[in-house]
Amino acid sequence: MNTSRSFEALRRSNPRAKAGFAESVEAAAAAIQARVAAGAGVSDPQTSFPRRRLIGVVAATLLAVAAAVAALSTIGSPGTEDATAAVKRAATVTAASAERSGTAVVRITHNGELWAGTTIRWHGADLAVRSDAPQRRGRAGSWLLVVDGILYGVEPGRGWVVLGKPENIDPGSGTTPDEYLASVREDVGGVTLRRTTGGMTGLQKRSLDDGSTVYSGTVAAGLIAREAGLKGGQPIRVLPFGNVAHDEAADPSAPLQAAVTVGADNVIREIAVTWGSNASAWAYTVTYSGLGATAAPIAPANARPLRERWP
Amino acid sequence: MSDGERKRRFDALFATYSSDIVAYCGWRSATASDAQDAVAEVFLTAWRRLDELPGGEAARVWLYATARKVIANQRRSNRRRKALEDRLTLEAAVPRPPDPEETLVHEALRRLGSADREVLLLAEWEGLSPAQIASVLGCLPVTARGRLHRARRRFRTVFEELSRVANELPVRHPRAAVEGGS
Repeated sequence: MNTSRSFEALRRSNPRAKAGFAESVEAAAAAIQARVAAGAGVSDPQTSFPRRRLIGVVAATLLAVAAAVAALSTIGSPGTEDATAAVKRAATVTAASAERSGTAVVRITHNGELWAGTTIRWHGADLAVRSDAPQRRGRAGSWLLVVDGILYGVEPGRGWVVLGKPENIDPGSGTTPDEYLASVREDVGGVTLRRTTGGMTGLQKRSLDDGSTVYSGTVAAGLIAREAGLKGGQPIRVLPFGNVAHDEAADPSAPLQAAVTVGADNVIREIAVTWGSNASAWAYTVTYSGLGATAAPIAPANARPLRERWP
Repeated sequence: MSDGERKRRFDALFATYSSDIVAYCGWRSATASDAQDAVAEVFLTAWRRLDELPGGEAARVWLYATARKVIANQRRSNRRRKALEDRLTLEAAVPRPPDPEETLVHEALRRLGSADREVLLLAEWEGLSPAQIASVLGCLPVTARGRLHRARRRFRTVFEELSRVANELPVRHPRAAVEGGS
């Protein structure tokens, strides 16, 4: 092998060349510049604030500051900001904020009736996933919990059970908990958010009384329901956070109606996607809250070892 | 230094070197949020110590050295996640290598010792000279030069071996199994 090939390959892998790097720098720049400009006690080296807490506070406030900067920057120039750029910036700020912790409430309705629902809370690598679905297949109220790399579940009639490390468990569904959790982390980490908002076209802007802005447009189903899989032997496509995409949403090229609600602080509050007709109308919404401020889930103290099932 | 001068100097420092520090913290930190914390801490430290900061290219080296200490502190204060950090450090920089060559690069880097990986990437990704690397690592330039030489040699050996194996076996991206539904 040519000796230089290995180093050329190494240099081509430099993260600076990756998509999203410029956005990371841009977000960091806005946040830190504003933080320093504001002073806010930063220049006081004698602070009694614990170091770790200071770092956490800085991290938590950086994005809020970035959002404030972004919001303020539009005040002086109303109408000059392109909707696409606004959605992109909101996605960047939201995704970065969601990286540490947050809560997402996912709802799917079919003809106005709740079809499926999930609430996901995350904090670092820890996750709590609760099914809020109606009583379909007996799964309503079920929990999946990952704390310190250990998976916990709720067994009907037994309460919390220690299921072990996610990567070691195969429930026979074709997707292991580890893969499922990896996809949830991808969804909450902003990859899906950026892809979805980045693919929206024909954006229309509507201001709400509370200062929020709704950006609506169309997005190809394939950008929303990107994951493919099998269920009951049939190919399916999966919406973010693991729900099956039905009807048009299963066709990657189908245009779906999407609306992104961005708060006055420039953080995305909700993504709503709708498709279908009056005979079969679907709505999929993801509502974000507590970004950067959601508490870590706690391991259930009364969880029993799984092996107790087979004494 | 007046407040205005401090602000101007900090702005210039940030405009010039923020992308370097974001990149460095990206591949050195376990997660994107840790990287974000680290970048913030580095520049907040720079703001506090602006009067002590060297000028010119030496400021860049100072920022790298500070970032290295900040990340080391993060790791010490975050022992609970230590094992995960080791596993994810490179994944955090580029979560999903999109092509076989990059997969090989990341696997080769993963197989290097952390000291080799650090010195190699300071040179190849951050573009630091051996003398600058020595300042960041707090060692003699001759030591940095020796470490870099050995790291380069090891990387080349591992990369070539992985490439040879990859040419013999079809590369299978782990995602393929999931998307194929198997």
